[in-house]
Formats: sequence, C-alpha cells, structure tokens
Amino acid sequence: MATATTPPDASARRAGTHREPGSRPRSRRRNQLRNWLIFAVLAGPNIALLVVFTYRPLLQSFFLSTLQWNLGSPSAVPVGLANYADFFAAPGTPRLLAVTAIFTLATVGGGMVLGLLLAVLLNRKLRFRGAARTIVVAPYVLSGVAVGLLWLFVFDPNFGVLSALLGGLGIASPAWYTDPQWALVMVIIVYLWKNVGYVALIYLAGLQAVPRDLLEAASLDGASPVRSFVSVVLPLLGPTTFFLGITTLLTSLQSFDIIRAMTDGGPLEGTTTMMYAIYREGFANGRAGYSSAIATILFLVLFVITLAQLRFVERKVHYA
Amino acid sequence: MTTPDLSRRALLRLGALLGGSAALAACGGPSLSESGGAAQADIDWSGVQPASQITWWSNHPGTSIELEKEYIRRFQEQNPGITVNLVTAGKNYDEVAQRFQAAAGTDNTPDLVGASDVWWFRYMINGQIIPLEGLAQHLQIDTGDYNRTLYDDYAFDGQHWALPYARSTPLFYYNRDVWQRAGLPDRAPETWDEFEQWAPALAGIVGKPPLGLGPGTSWTAWWFCNLMWGRGGAYSQEWTLTLDKPETLDAGEYLRAMVNDKKFAAVSAGGDDGYVADFSAGVTACTMASTGSLRGILQQAQFEVGTGFLPKGPAGPGCPTGGTGMAIAAAKSPEQQLAAGMFLKFLTEPEQTANFSAGTGYMPVRTSAVDSPDMQAVFAETPQARTAVDQLATTRVQDWARAFVPSGDQYLTTAIERIMLQNENPATAFSAAAAEIQTSYEQNVARYI
Amino acid sequence: MTVEHAPARRPRPAVGGYLTMAFAVAVMILPLVWMALASFKGLDELYQLPIQWLPDSLAATNYVTATQTVPFGSFFVNSAIVTAVGAGLKMTLGLMTAYALVFVDIPFRRFFFYVVVCALLVPQQIVLIPNYALVAQLGWLNTYQGLILPGLASAFGTFLFRQHFLTLPRSILEAAQIDGAGHWRRLWGFVVPLSGPTIAAVGLVSIVTEWNDYLWPLLVIDRPEMMTLPVGLTLLMNFDGVPDWGVIMAGTVLVTVPVLAVFFLLQRRIVDGLVTGAVTG
Repeated sequence: MATATTPPDASARRAGTHREPGSRPRSRRRNQLRNWLIFAVLAGPNIALLVVFTYRPLLQSFFLSTLQWNLGSPSAVPVGLANYADFFAAPGTPRLLAVTAIFTLATVGGGMVLGLLLAVLLNRKLRFRGAARTIVVAPYVLSGVAVGLLWLFVFDPNFGVLSALLGGLGIASPAWYTDPQWALVMVIIVYLWKNVGYVALIYLAGLQAVPRDLLEAASLDGASPVRSFVSVVLPLLGPTTFFLGITTLLTSLQSFDIIRAMTDGGPLEGTTTMMYAIYREGFANGRAGYSSAIATILFLVLFVITLAQLRFVERKVHYA
Repeated sequence: MTTPDLSRRALLRLGALLGGSAALAACGGPSLSESGGAAQADIDWSGVQPASQITWWSNHPGTSIELEKEYIRRFQEQNPGITVNLVTAGKNYDEVAQRFQAAAGTDNTPDLVGASDVWWFRYMINGQIIPLEGLAQHLQIDTGDYNRTLYDDYAFDGQHWALPYARSTPLFYYNRDVWQRAGLPDRAPETWDEFEQWAPALAGIVGKPPLGLGPGTSWTAWWFCNLMWGRGGAYSQEWTLTLDKPETLDAGEYLRAMVNDKKFAAVSAGGDDGYVADFSAGVTACTMASTGSLRGILQQAQFEVGTGFLPKGPAGPGCPTGGTGMAIAAAKSPEQQLAAGMFLKFLTEPEQTANFSAGTGYMPVRTSAVDSPDMQAVFAETPQARTAVDQLATTRVQDWARAFVPSGDQYLTTAIERIMLQNENPATAFSAAAAEIQTSYEQNVARYI
Repeated sequence: MTVEHAPARRPRPAVGGYLTMAFAVAVMILPLVWMALASFKGLDELYQLPIQWLPDSLAATNYVTATQTVPFGSFFVNSAIVTAVGAGLKMTLGLMTAYALVFVDIPFRRFFFYVVVCALLVPQQIVLIPNYALVAQLGWLNTYQGLILPGLASAFGTFLFRQHFLTLPRSILEAAQIDGAGHWRRLWGFVVPLSGPTIAAVGLVSIVTEWNDYLWPLLVIDRPEMMTLPVGLTLLMNFDGVPDWGVIMAGTVLVTVPVLAVFFLLQRRIVDGLVTGAVTG
C-alpha cells in the first residue's frame, strides 16, 4: 500500500485525496466524519484548553492594553494607545529596559560561557565526574522561591556566610540588599547558580556527540587543545549553542520567582525587569491596562525570538 | 461513537465548546464606562439578622496570629451563632491590600479586611468598603472612646471608612548600654541637633554610623514625616502637592547630609527589616522603628532597650501614626456586613485592645483602655510601651499625597531612598515623585471624588 | 590509534581539572549546607557577630515552629495533588493530541498542528491578567481547577510526542488495525508502550515544572489550606520584625530536600528528560 512507505507528513499534505488503508467499502464522507469525530475526542480537549487559556487571553490582553483599568474595578475607561505612550514617556522606563537588558545578557551570556566551561570540564575523563554532573544539575530542579530564600540569607551583608567569607579576605560585603547595582548582581548570581547546570548538561550532550577522531586529527596536526577546541569543536556545537541561546533567553526574560523571593524588584527598582514590572503594575499597583501594555511590548519581542527558534526547529526536524 | 448520529451531536458539542470559549473571550474583564465605583447608600440595619459565617483577612500585625485566634474564640463564645474564619492574606499590609484589590468582583472577598493608612482610601474610591456611621450607630459602638487621631485617620467626606485596630507610631529606640558607655543621659535626644552632637561619641563605640534607618515601602516615607514636619515641610496640603516647598526640600537635604556627608545615620544594609535586626544585634546604637516592633526587639536584644519620642526639628515635633485599621467589604450582603461589624466592635473593645497592645506593642486604640488595669499593668512591666501612648499627643494626620493617592507611598519611598542611597539632590528626587503622584492622582482619584 | 595518543596526554596531570571540579561542586553545595546549618540555629545564634558557623544543638525547634506556623502538611498535599493531576492530565492530553495529529486522517491536520505549536509562541506573562480575571469571575480562586486548568494544555509535550510518533513503524499499527483494534486501543495498547523513554522524559520534566510553579499559584491562591509549597513557604517571612532565618531555612529545607532526594534517585532519567527536550526541540 502506498501509505505504508509514504512519510506521514507527506500523507497529511495530501490528506484530501488519501484513503485510510484497510478501510471497508464505506462512503468516504461517512468515514471522514468518523475520523473528524475521533480527532475531536482525542485532540479536542487539548485544543479547547489552548483556545480558552492561551489564545483568548492573548487577544484579550491586546484589548486590555487599550484601557485604563484598575484590577478589581468593575469598569474601565478606553484610552486608546495612551498606556503605550505612558510607558515610553515614564521616567522609570529607561532604567526598566536597562535592568532587563543587563539581567538578560548576564544570565544568558554568562550562563552559556559558564555552562560550556563546566561541560568541557565534565567531559574530561575525571573520576567522580558523573557525581559532579549530578550535583551541578541539581539546583535546576529546585523551586526558584526556595533557592531565592536560601541565597538571601547567604548574602545578608551583616549576618550571612558570604560577608563572613569576604571579611576573612579583608573585603567589606557589598550592600547587596540596598544598592541597586549590587542587588542586580546578586539576583544574576543566584539565577546562574540555579540554571547553569542545565546549560552544562546540554553542552555535555553536544560535546559527547563530537566524533573523537576529529579531536584526534586536530591534535595530530599539533594544534593546542584550546585552538583545536575553538576551531574544531565550537563550530560543531553551533546548533546546540543556538538552541540554548534561544531557550535560555526566553526563560530569562520570563523569570520571576528568584526576584520575587529576594528583592521584590527593589531596591529602587534596581531588579525590576519587564516581567517583574508586569506583575508589579498589574497585581500590586492594580494598573491592569498599563500592565497589559508592557506585556504586549514584551510579547512582541519574545514573538520575534521564538519565531526564529521555531524556524530553527523546523530546519532541524527536516534535516535530522 | 460509531453512529453518525452521535458523532454529529459530538461535533455540535465541540462547536459549542469552541464557540463558548469565543464568548468567554469577552468575559473576565471590566465593562466600559466613564464612572468608577460608587459608594452605596446607607441601609437600614434594624431589620437585618447577622450572618452565621464571616471571613477576616489579616496579616497578623506584630506576629499576633495566636492573639487573633483567641479573640475569635472569645467572640464566638459570646455569639454562638457566628463563626469567624481567620485568613492570612499576606505577610504585610501591602500584600493584604493587593489581594483585596485583586479579589474585587469575585466571590472571594472577605467580610472584614485590614485597611492600612496608605490603602483604605484606595479601597474607598474603588467602592470596595462601606462607611461605618450607620453600622456604628446601630451597634452602639462608642466611637467617642476611640483615640481621636487614630479614628479620624479613616475619615473622608464626613464619613469614617474603617476602625483603628493595630495602630502604631514610630519610636526612637536606643541601646542604653551604649548610651551609658558614651556618657549620655538615659533618654532619647530632644532634637535632631542634640543627636548630631551625641553622634560622634556613639559612633566611637559602635564603629559605624550610630543611627540605623529602614528602607522599603510603607515605611520610609512614613518615618520621614518626622524630619519633614519637624522642619515645617509636608508632602501635600490636601490635594495640592508641596514637594517643592523650601521646607520640604530642606528636610530632604537634611536627610541627604546626615547619611551622605555627616554620616551619623546609615540605611541598614540588611534590607527592609534589617534596621530592626541591626539594632537588636547591637550593630547600630539606635533606630526609628514602629511601636509594633517593641515585643520583638525586647525579646531579642541582649542589652537594655530604651524608647523615647522621635527627635524634634526646628519647627517642633513631628510624628505620624500608622499601622492598620479594619474595614468592611461593600460587596457583601447586609447580613454579613452586620456580623462583620459586630466582630469589629468586639475586636476594638477596651479589653481586647488592651490585650492586643500588651501582646504586640501596638497602641491601645481606645482612650478608656489606656487607663484600664490591664494596660496599667503592662506599663508597669514594660515602661517602654508607655512612650507610644504619650507620644500620641504630638501626632498628626498624614499628608494625602502619601496616604490617599494610589502608589503615592511607593513614589515617595523611591524619592527618599534615592536621596539616602544615591546621594541624589532632593529637588530632583522629589520632582520626579511629584510628577508620578500627579499622574496617579489624575488617573485614579480626581475623577472619582 | 587511541592507544598511541593516550600517553601523549597522560603526562599532564589532571590536578587542575580536579581542583576546578571541586570548586564547582563546592559552589553548588555550600549554600545548601549553610541553609541546613541555619535551620538549626536560634535567633541569638543567627544574629551574632562574628557569625557563628555551627548551631549549638541539632534540636528540631525551628522545624516544629515552621510546621506549626504554617500548615506544611497541607502545602505538601496540595503540591502533590496539583503535580499528579496536572502533570498526569497534561501527559494524557499530549499523547492523545499527538496521536490524533499523526494517525487520524482528516483534512487540515496540519492546521491543527500549528494551532498547538503556535501556543508555544505565547509566553506566560501576557495571559496572566486575562486568565486571572476569567478564573476569578468563574469563582475558581482558591480551587484546584483554578490552579490546574489554565496551565493544563499540552503544547511542547504534544510537539515532542508527535516528533516521536512520526518515527514509529507504521506496519505495527496497521497490523493492529487489521486485528480490529480501534484508535483508542491502538494509542494505549501499541503507541504508548513503544514510547516509554520519551514519556518518562517528558513526564519527569513536567512533574518538576508543576511542583515548582510559583507565579500562577501565587495569584490564584490566598487561603493557606489551598497553597502549594512554594507559595506557602513565603508565609514564613513574617511581618513587623526581624526575619527568623532559622524558621525560614527550616521551611526551605522541607521544600528542597524531598525534591533533591527524588532527583538523586531518578537523576539518570531526569537528566535524559532534560536532554531529550533539548535535542528534539
């Protein structure tokens, strides 16, 4: 039968002309109706949930962003694009964008560099590297709130272990809780601690797929380990790097738990990212319309990034 | 599943499901209109029977959950027909208020809710709480017995929107051991000038700026009232902002200098509650903290704790009141509101308020409670508790820009923190806050009053 | 060949490698140790300068206080219910949808695939306010359905399952069909058993995600008896006073240790799950 050898994707594309194999001589319409029904039973609930809780709110959010609406108030005033105008005119917006950019670049870039270094380390034939890999990945499965709280006490400038360690080296503890810049560094460190293991893990999988002969060929040529790594291995890790770049970027832009548990966006909004501003404006300040406008702006940014990712996934699936 | 008949029905149902979700897209949001929440007309309470169950949202100020449970027990003993459900609605006033705001329009609202100094007004303009005059009259609540300042904090437009519950003022806490070693008299400084003279001796002993200041919302812009009013400044006069007044700027400049130039005060490095921790651990020699922190500090400090009035400025004393009152939700049935009112009355009766004060350090909100034997016993045992009650005479009602304008407190806090932490010019910091407060006022208040 | 070149590397002792590894492991572990130590300290030990490293006693006072202050038992039960039901249903929905997308022949199948996959383009934060408003209006605040339903739909899982199903040999299913097995039996009797590793991988990752979810439960739950562990944990940060880090850390230990225990037990599978998601996606 033709279908047996045709890839399912192709059969799907020609679905209109295709007959299910082994079907009894039944009217095609009836058969198709039956398939529709089965499809509805199997895929319907999931698709309905997506429509209600993903696509509906997406559309509604665009609408809400044109309102001046206090969350909880039964009525709202249409204001057109005033929320967007307010956002770009607000004195805090440049800082908000800067904090978001710094947090994102540091967590994504820092995470990739540290993760790659860790992966290279764990790819060496060292004893206990399996155990080390497990330990490095472990924080990734912990709750962000718990991680934030436990680190908060580590960072306490007077009574925390970090200030004692730094004090031992003769360094005064930075004002992690009250200096906006140091607070941002603090949440970045904690974010990296929690997530770097994941990046290392994926890089490790990528490294293990690098054929040994290639490395050996490089070392035969007399290339130094660093040079052979940069010129041979790194290009081979390109797809992994691209994948990690996109996914960690999306996760980082949406991160919430650690900031909420540690700084609540402060001090002086020094750790308020766009994601956090959406929460703060919408749920703490009750400015639901304004919050929706920020969410829409962030969505558009994420949309472009995710499209790029999907493109990549498609390509990978086709050429895999 | 096999007959076409059934399948058609199932398809229809699927269609209805998808169509239904399209209809749902319209709901879950606000209706469009030009007017905001409106206060309802007062009802005739005489024919109303109290409901059998009410819900109370609290953050248990001063770690008072056990006390609150005890009051519920006592109340239920007196009123066997009414059950009170106590809900921890957040860890602080802001969280309770945010939840209450978010719950509006749902069936998840409480009957009785914490309404702090910076939040009750927003509840009111959103139409979320009821004025209490009618209920107070019906329940024969002796409103004259509430401390006048504390009661009138909830007044607007001739009506009261909450009753005082866990009310506080900032106090000047000092480490008496350090004071003694510095050879200072055993009292809080009379004026900021005097403290400035004492500071070098204190700094010599603790090795860092002796006065710890606390950052954070619902806090910084509160104690700053002391410096500001003491120098003749104010955030606002009614709805008119006075953040650019020379006296207000002078107060900002004084704060900037004392932290950044003269360095006799410093923002606690320990974050929002760090100033209490630092003081209790002996890191700082003194601090301004709420009366509500008294119990905690006394328990933890390994030294003798002294309390006193906040220092005066050139224009005299300046002391705000704060803490939380309790308000009754508008979205509830009169039966539930009545039951909530009965419990609120009970909660603020002299006996409970004295007990609450003794257990937490918050002030007794009833005049008669101050003179009650319970309270006298408390004062005898912990004389520090007396300070707050005495200081009440010097308090005044807060400026509207902080207390009434939504997020006003937050904008002011940011400005003051900038002055302290980033050595920013007060004129710059306050003008930024003024712009934001003005916008918030126009968007959230002006159209509703 | 390998034998020839291995000695060339051997002269460089791996001391540096071991030191770096030890350092990395220490950075990962020390905060957890500090948490565990602090959970046994009283206020006076916590707020002492210079800091006191070891607790005076290993009495579980803080653990008792933590469990008495907030209902950890019911947090745990709620987290377990939400995780089990949420992750279980999500997997089921994903399997069913993926099956339908691959094996049920209808026109516009590709369109529905895109409906599912495009949901991945919609990030969580944009749906927060509308979904909150809807859940609130339905009276679903503080309910399991309010907690679970909005995040229940499976998009990424469906995608991964579909990719896997496409690799399954069609002949097996056709044989099953000739034997008279309907779609339902073909799904659960043939396709699912052939997908064990993929299901385990996706399942474990979605269990971890559900267990740690914070933002949504924070918004829709305010009654302690309905809170999940991450939300309930923050209740320990009490107001009006010095944070009692001993009690907070005791709570944090209670939240993290079970997860760590499960992770170390199942680490190979969980790690596979994380890698599978990455390699396929």
